[in-house]
Amino acid sequence: MLAAPVLFLLTVVVYPLVYAIELSLQYYRLGGFAGLHNFLFAFHDRLLGESLRATLVYVVLAVGVECVLGLVLAVAVQRTVRSALGRTLVYLLFIVPMVTPPVAAGVIFRLMYIPEYGILNVLLHGLGYPGRGILWMSSPGMAMFSVLSVDVWQWMPFVFLVLFAGLSAVPGDVIEAAEVDGAGGWARFRQIELAYLRPLLLLVLVFRFTDTLRVFDHVQVLTMGGPGSATEFLSLYLYKIAFKFSNLNYASALAIYVVIIVSVVFALTSRYLSEEIA
Amino acid sequence: MAAGRMTCAPVPEHDQVTVREGSAMTEDRRRRGAPGVDRARGGRLTRREVLAAGAAGLAGAAVGAARLDRVAAPVRAAPRPRQLNIGVVSGVEIRGLKAIAPMWDKETGVRLNLVEYPYASLYEKMVTAFQANAATFDIVMLDDPWMPKFGAEGWLAPLDAAPFNLKRDPDIFPVVYDLGSWPPPSGPVPPGEGGKPRHLYAITLVGNVELFMYRRDLIPSPPRTWDQVLSNATRLGNPGKQFYGFAMRGAKGNPIISQWFPILRAFGGRVFDDHWNVVFKSPESLAALKFFVGQLKAVAQPGADTADAADRTRLVATGHAAQGSVWPAEASDIVENPSVSTVRGKVAYTVLPMGPAGKHTPMMGNWLLGIPKAAREKEWAYRFITWATSASVQKPYAAAGGIPFRKSILTDPGLNKRYPFFRAMADSLAAPPFWRPRTTEWSAVETILGTHVNAALAGGESPEQAVDKAATEITQHMREAGYIK
Repeated sequence: MLAAPVLFLLTVVVYPLVYAIELSLQYYRLGGFAGLHNFLFAFHDRLLGESLRATLVYVVLAVGVECVLGLVLAVAVQRTVRSALGRTLVYLLFIVPMVTPPVAAGVIFRLMYIPEYGILNVLLHGLGYPGRGILWMSSPGMAMFSVLSVDVWQWMPFVFLVLFAGLSAVPGDVIEAAEVDGAGGWARFRQIELAYLRPLLLLVLVFRFTDTLRVFDHVQVLTMGGPGSATEFLSLYLYKIAFKFSNLNYASALAIYVVIIVSVVFALTSRYLSEEIA
Repeated sequence: MAAGRMTCAPVPEHDQVTVREGSAMTEDRRRRGAPGVDRARGGRLTRREVLAAGAAGLAGAAVGAARLDRVAAPVRAAPRPRQLNIGVVSGVEIRGLKAIAPMWDKETGVRLNLVEYPYASLYEKMVTAFQANAATFDIVMLDDPWMPKFGAEGWLAPLDAAPFNLKRDPDIFPVVYDLGSWPPPSGPVPPGEGGKPRHLYAITLVGNVELFMYRRDLIPSPPRTWDQVLSNATRLGNPGKQFYGFAMRGAKGNPIISQWFPILRAFGGRVFDDHWNVVFKSPESLAALKFFVGQLKAVAQPGADTADAADRTRLVATGHAAQGSVWPAEASDIVENPSVSTVRGKVAYTVLPMGPAGKHTPMMGNWLLGIPKAAREKEWAYRFITWATSASVQKPYAAAGGIPFRKSILTDPGLNKRYPFFRAMADSLAAPPFWRPRTTEWSAVETILGTHVNAALAGGESPEQAVDKAATEITQHMREAGYIK
């Protein structure tokens, strides 16, 4: 009975992981057992350092903006949109970005950001913006903004939907009691709703953290990691090492680091969540 | 199907009949679903095609086999297989191949099974198959930068040795043979490869070579130097009206290197000397980069540092740029495509301009056909390669939108009327063009160069910093790869 799922799990999860570990312990080109050589090399890899810095900026900004914006919108919609139809429309509107393939999202935004005829510069020119318009992907700062905007557009709705569902689960009598006691909107949010949302917020944070850590598709479409290495995030760097430099050994070692980091974050969060739920 | 022997007399190559677009013959073949003819409409059909159509189902195998006899004389006894498996890249590169495949099927009774993969997967599939010595493919279509890997590993059967003994054809540019040979006949040879006997392992099917396009209604004579390009661009560019003097491809990685590498060569710069020492940090490289990110960028469209091939060519095709580099497939699909282009008939093509070094530096990007050593149907694979690259088949191939490589096809007046970039291709192949350094490390080297040249174009690094960093990283990489000490 258990054989089939176990076999499936072994095939699709365990085998690739074991294979990656095996590769990571071998020398590139020469083959043979390399011990921790590939893992230690990461500490001397200057380009990896640059990539990690860019990734950190991206993760912090993307997760931060998505969580804050998603939370604000969830509270606003919860308090202002009362009709079932209105809420259904909001749901539909917010689901569209999430079901858009990341590559398609990248292409859409690329077309919007094209300097000569992208819709944004056309609108800016219409509003009287002087000169050649904004070069949305040409400076490190603007390129970071451009790739972030796609992430926020696509995944802020996920945060919104989860938190909106959480807000809907706050018992009405608790809110009413607070209102009778004279609690204002801010106090209601801070004292009651936020307490109910805390486990969900944590869950959302973990999901978004792991997701943004692996970001690849739309960045590849928009900037290919450029200009220079400004948006060459960890996954793009890994891809470069594996498929441009053909160094699967070092790439595997880096991938294992990522797995370890994500696993640690998950383990800590799960423990915290268990305590919260208890 | 029973094995057949090649016994009938071949059809003379010059013996052709012309079928014009809309003719009864063409329409009839279309109605009967003869693929390839539809794409080849307007082109000249050989008598062999007409005969094959008339005799289809009657004596196709025997007659077709006879026709092949001319191109595959050394191989006579191979049993006829049911199909030939050919690993190909999906995309415009196989448009011509798809058009001639039904002709081959009909002439020989051997089905050509085109196994399509995206670019990256094709390489991976082929390497996996070759490493396992698996007879997955009878023929492979390979990009020319893959030649060092395939040549060094000895995965392909030599075409100029027994039993094939392919002879050089004066209708084919010598550089085509050089490109498919291993070890490379010129330039640095990878460590350990120099002592190997040189053989021809693959022959070009898609004769891609980078060209230069310009608006002939605005520029009276073809620009011969990059200075002339700059001068034309300065004179014609009008950013206020969204018209740019030069359409630049500057996205990170391969795109910017495809654009800039010929300029580097035109300025006399090189990445490696003949012993793989990294000589990129030089006054020539710096001059080429300063010209590119300074003068040329100033007359190019804004945001060039994220523009890829389609963006660049679309600018010219929609009347927003006066000049730019172009690959033949882009010229065919965008600039000469009436549904996209507003400047059709106003664009001319020429060899990539010269720089201070005083010679034209077009860059090759050919797709070649080779036979894996592990292939099951080597003899028939050879028959197909010689058939597909023969002058008589290259004509319908080119007429259907394939990128040819033979002198006679590229200089054919009829085809040049339809594909006005063919003559420039012939001139570029005769120049001769240069190829990317023959090393398995080129992908990594190109990635390093493409990162720093892009950073310089975007203003994140100065030209000096970009050259310095790229040279340092390439040196480190080549040292780790065992090319230099």
